Amino acid sequence: MKILVPVKRVIDYNVKVRVKADGTGVDLANVKMSMNPFDEIAVEEAIRLREAGKAEEIIVVSVGPQQAQETLRTGLAMGADRGILVKTDATTEPLAVAKILKKVVEEEQPGLVILGKQAIDDDCNQTGQMLAALLGWSQGTFASKVDLGEGTVDVTREVDGGLQTVKLKLPAIVTTDLRLNEPRYASLPNIMKAKKKPIDEKSPEDYGVDVAPRLEVLKTVEPPARQAGVKVADVAELVAKLKNEAGVL
Amino acid sequence: MSVDLNSEEQAVIGQIERFSSKVLVPAAAEIDAKSRFATLHRPALAEMGIMGMNLPEAYGGIGLSGPALYCAVEAIAAACGSTASMLTAHFLATDSLLLGADEALKQRILPAAAAGEALGAFALTEPMAGSNPADMRSTATRDGDGYRLKGSKCFISNAGEADFIVVYAKTDSAAGARGVSAFVVEPARIEGVEIGRPEETMGLRGGHVFPISFDCHVPAENRLGDEGTGFRTAMKVLDNGRIEVAAQATGIARAALDAAVSYAREREVGGQPIGSFQGLQWMLADSATELAAARALGLQAARKRGTGARYSRDSAFAKLYASEAAWRIADRALQIHGGYGYTRDFPLERYLRDLRIFRIYEGSSEIQRTIIARDLLS
Ligand SMILES: Cc1cc2nc3c(=O)[nH]c(=O)nc-3n(C[C@H](O)[C@H](O)[C@H](O)COP(=O)(O)OP(=O)(O)OC[C@H]3O[C@@H](n4cnc5c(N)ncnc54)[C@H](O)[C@@H]3O)c2cc1C
Ligand SMILES: Cc1cc2nc3c(=O)[nH]c(=O)nc-3n(C[C@H](O)[C@H](O)[C@H](O)COP(=O)(O)OP(=O)(O)OC[C@H]3O[C@@H](n4cnc5c(N)ncnc54)[C@H](O)[C@@H]3O)c2cc1C
Repeated sequence: MKILVPVKRVIDYNVKVRVKADGTGVDLANVKMSMNPFDEIAVEEAIRLREAGKAEEIIVVSVGPQQAQETLRTGLAMGADRGILVKTDATTEPLAVAKILKKVVEEEQPGLVILGKQAIDDDCNQTGQMLAALLGWSQGTFASKVDLGEGTVDVTREVDGGLQTVKLKLPAIVTTDLRLNEPRYASLPNIMKAKKKPIDEKSPEDYGVDVAPRLEVLKTVEPPARQAGVKVADVAELVAKLKNEAGVL
Repeated sequence: MSVDLNSEEQAVIGQIERFSSKVLVPAAAEIDAKSRFATLHRPALAEMGIMGMNLPEAYGGIGLSGPALYCAVEAIAAACGSTASMLTAHFLATDSLLLGADEALKQRILPAAAAGEALGAFALTEPMAGSNPADMRSTATRDGDGYRLKGSKCFISNAGEADFIVVYAKTDSAAGARGVSAFVVEPARIEGVEIGRPEETMGLRGGHVFPISFDCHVPAENRLGDEGTGFRTAMKVLDNGRIEVAAQATGIARAALDAAVSYAREREVGGQPIGSFQGLQWMLADSATELAAARALGLQAARKRGTGARYSRDSAFAKLYASEAAWRIADRALQIHGGYGYTRDFPLERYLRDLRIFRIYEGSSEIQRTIIARDLLS
């Protein structure tokens, strides 16, 4: 079985994000970029399935600028077998990405597509679901456990109020939550070897997908700075404040 | 990051930075406070492929360029000086083999060393021969099918846990530097190697150093290259090693400066961040400039590594400047932290203690100046 893992190049999670002075977006100049952490979990899960003998090939695919190739190399260094770069400088919105992924899925015929549940830049949480809808496949989102059987996959989902396990017929879409696994560090030799693994370069036009944004960003602003807290002398004062000032009791 | 690096090398450095901040930084203060031997990180370093990153692929390494290796060592030292020192002492041992040994000995030792399965040590210094190693008194005399090795070494990093020690000794006591040969000594395999207790040191307290005494038999196939080539090998190894010392100095100085910059932004005195005082701004500016200069000299030497050209003078520039600049940078950073910098709640005093040795080992600052001046006047 093949596993397809879409990976997104995003601002590194350690970077303190700054809004551009003109409010048109966040400043990406000279900012460290990395693979979306949820996607790293997706790559890790795919590798574990291959290590367990349940998958043969792992393909990483990224829709984004030329530099998204580095993100693919990260996936290849972790253990994916080959990559596909769908090159575009346009702002990628979930629907356009899902449409491209649908075409890639039709070409590659994977048994499983594992995505991150969301990307930490726009936090959309849509691409996996949209892809499932476009393909008419089953989906198991927010996975904290993936158990691959014969023709089916059991996905334990993190839902409000607990865990839910769904059994999906393959082929299927899984999106990863934080607790699914702890992704490995690619070793230095594997990083060096990753340059020898193939990356196919494509464009959205190759798949006949129009990636022009459907949304317009009007303004980007910093979240309001948090006000300093106050210290209270005792529980009585706390309760009084919650009652009279906060009005939550 | 250096512009010299290709994209794989940039990814390698990025990964080392990440590994260092997650694995090395959290343990660094405790390694120092409890003098825990930094070899506790050996399995993690081995898994990452870091123990062999100075070697070519043919011997289990990854074939990093000189500048990439420089950046890698800088990143590790910025996280934990003791770990960097343990690692670079291992590199001195594997480099000795790479530069001085025949193919059979390289193949026997290097792949296991690169994989981190075998830890190396480099034994040149003796009680009566530090700055001038040609004064060494250890001898290796022909004895049956090998050599009788007699003598003692001191301050040998890693020796206590080393699987192999590259020992320099005289096969011809009358020939001075030309009488020095190098041997691989495997302490667990032979009788007559006594390794003492680790020294109590000011800094790099997790980079343990040991005295050793030998009265042992070494097989002839453990000799590195021909008799009499040991000194030349050691000098070439130190040309590389000094770049790594420069990289360590730069790494710790970088960590100190980063800490000073964030502290200057946050600490308020008299209602203003201390970073708004020109007195501190100029300290930070001088530190940043000296750090950049140290890195530039380090990379200049590193670029020559592996080109075949001699670069003893470039290595000496790099080590001399970086080790002295790092001291000033870390001292200013401690100053900016006020009284807190003097406490162990902050890493500044550790940085200063760890840094201090860089002006002494692998050729003191005075010896670097001597190398440079000799080169100018020759
Ligand atoms: C933590 C640590 C780790 C070490 N690790 C290793 C290791 O792994 N392997 C190894 O072989 N050695 C190691 N050493 C030894 C180190 O390389 C020596 O300490 C160093 O070379 C200096 O030698 P020395 O201590 O004998 O000082 P000395 O040579 O006695 O020097 C004393 C002083 O005299 C000055 N001086 C000497 N000669 C001259 C001159 N011609 N002109 C001007 N000034 C001069 C020196 O600069 C110094 O200031 C280590 C030492 C330490 C402390
Ligand atoms: C071992 C030790 C013993 C001590 N013993 C005592 C004691 O017995 N009694 C006691 O009362 N205190 C004691 N202290 C406290 C000590 O006096 C203070 O640490 C010192 O006054 C500096 O204050 P600070 O640490 O708050 O640094 P800060 O005031 O925060 O200064 C931080 C940095 O900003 C610089 N800075 C501050 N203001 C300016 C400015 N206007 N212009 C330019 N630069 C500026 C400082 O020079 C320093 O480099 C002790 C401290 C230590 C570490």
